Amino acid sequence: MKKAIVMVSLVVIAMLAMTGCGKKKEKLKLFLPGEYLGENVIADFEKEYNCQVIIENFDSNESMYTKLQAGDKYDVLIPSDYTIERLLKENYLQKLDKDAITNMGNLADQVKNLSFDPDNDYSIPYFWGTVGIIYNKKNVPLSDLEAEGFAIFKNPKYKDRVYMYDSARDGFMIALKTLGYSCNTEDDAEIEEAYNWLIEMNKTTKPVYVTDEVIDNMKAERMDLAIVYSGDAVDIISENPNMGYYTPACGTNVWYDSMVIPKNAENPELANKFINFMLNYDQCMDGTETVGYTSPNKDVLAKVTAADGEYADNEAYLPRTYEKDEIFHDNENLRKKLGELWIKVVATN
Amino acid sequence: MKQFRRMTYPYIVWALILIVAPMLLIVLYAFTTKGNDVVTTRFTLHNFARFFSDSLFLKVLLRSLKVAAITTIACLLLGYYPAYYIAKCSETFKMRWVLIITFPTWINMLVRTYAWIGILQDDGIINTVLGWIGIGPIQMMYTEFAVIVGMVYNFIPFMILQIYTSLTKMDGSLLEAANDLGANKFQSFLRVTLPLSLPGIISGITLVFLPAVSSFCIPSMLGGGQYMLVGNVIENYFLHSGDWNFGSAISMIMAIIIIVSMYITKKVDVTEKKEA
Repeated sequence: MKKAIVMVSLVVIAMLAMTGCGKKKEKLKLFLPGEYLGENVIADFEKEYNCQVIIENFDSNESMYTKLQAGDKYDVLIPSDYTIERLLKENYLQKLDKDAITNMGNLADQVKNLSFDPDNDYSIPYFWGTVGIIYNKKNVPLSDLEAEGFAIFKNPKYKDRVYMYDSARDGFMIALKTLGYSCNTEDDAEIEEAYNWLIEMNKTTKPVYVTDEVIDNMKAERMDLAIVYSGDAVDIISENPNMGYYTPACGTNVWYDSMVIPKNAENPELANKFINFMLNYDQCMDGTETVGYTSPNKDVLAKVTAADGEYADNEAYLPRTYEKDEIFHDNENLRKKLGELWIKVVATN
Repeated sequence: MKQFRRMTYPYIVWALILIVAPMLLIVLYAFTTKGNDVVTTRFTLHNFARFFSDSLFLKVLLRSLKVAAITTIACLLLGYYPAYYIAKCSETFKMRWVLIITFPTWINMLVRTYAWIGILQDDGIINTVLGWIGIGPIQMMYTEFAVIVGMVYNFIPFMILQIYTSLTKMDGSLLEAANDLGANKFQSFLRVTLPLSLPGIISGITLVFLPAVSSFCIPSMLGGGQYMLVGNVIENYFLHSGDWNFGSAISMIMAIIIIVSMYITKKVDVTEKKEA
């Protein structure tokens, strides 16, 4: 909901900005999740390339896809890994101009050559992270988390004290990982088992299903446990040091949001320049400091996690490298099936 | 007036494009299923069968109707007296009161509902005050209570304004006549004012019940994702699982329920008028 407000206001601002300028400037249309930009990056880019950036926000990869499918034109998108996989499969993206993107070397090793785009021909990472548990250190001992992992959400000790993230993909990921399966499984028996796991969780701890409200609610310590994206956890922990972030030993989802250029982009040249610009040290620093999500820039990573860096003591900032962590893959049947079951999970609570 | 009739054509075209076409699309989606590559749509009643064969959807439907009914009754009970009071005020005060009642609707509904989160939260205003006198905190957020409070708050202006309008149309001399004929204040209210305000009450009920039964952002903000109403289920099928056919079928079922309930209230309205 908050994102909807932000989106409306941004669209209005963008429209005002359009009417304000007399001379015809080059335009760049940017479509990305809400609250995902550094404070000054857009103004800096506009100044440097004497152009105008039009920003539009989406609240989920699925709604972004719907708009794209309807024929809306954008120059740069920032979707997640599995959606990029889908866009590639359906031939929506164009190759990046690697001659223009000279900053490719700034990327950290962890975010290069990912499985959905092995040679970075189509996508350049923007933010990345994991899905994990944010917990109140005063009420939840770390030993409980270590012993139980995600299954702590089924511990009757924390009844009425937990938030679940209201997303089919992430919800099923938690159950599947806890049961020892892949989060991309297509095996009906495994999905059934995960479904029952979630229903049982509803019965024992009565979680409240939230999305972005979880950030403010955990800062205010309204509950003890919640599922969050690591970037949001960084934000929560930097405002409330009583909070901790934990990624279980059973493995979790690791995700990458990357910049891509759609085939129907009206200004691909400027789009490539924008992507290159966003890899600069200063812009990456601005982004990660403002938003809290993990930067793909290796120098920025080194700087903020160094002993005197901004996120030195923030355990949520640097995602671990762990063999049991998985990337989501695009699978239409699975998406439909889980979406369907998720409504039942949420509504039977 | 005939010469003006032509001026309505643009409006009719407009209405056809913006109102009728989307409705027809919903009907089309509701009765079809995605076919194969040759035949892209196939006729089916499966979407409807699926809705009525799953106890979950019926549960959600009943819950929506219940919440909407409670909201409507609460709006009527809480809104009648203010409407009555405003109708009795002098002309200048009338306008001021109407302004005050409509004032909140100038602000976006999302923002106003956010304000309620701050009020109902465990560390919100109400619980802080309760804390001073040693009660609480009482869990109000993410309960049915919070959802109903949010809905009543958002929809009560519609009820008040409708009743107020019908009360201002009432002829004051009728009350004097009732008084002359020996009715006390309570009797004249019950036998004169109330029946005459009935059209306002009925349109108020329609204006509150309809948005309440299909609302989806108030329940998801104040009730949490697990407090699902029909509106939330429809949203989910359209936006998350991408099953537009089933989402459309649910929308159509809702539309039919609403049309039937409007028909019934109209009927009540007509018979009441005949009796009067």
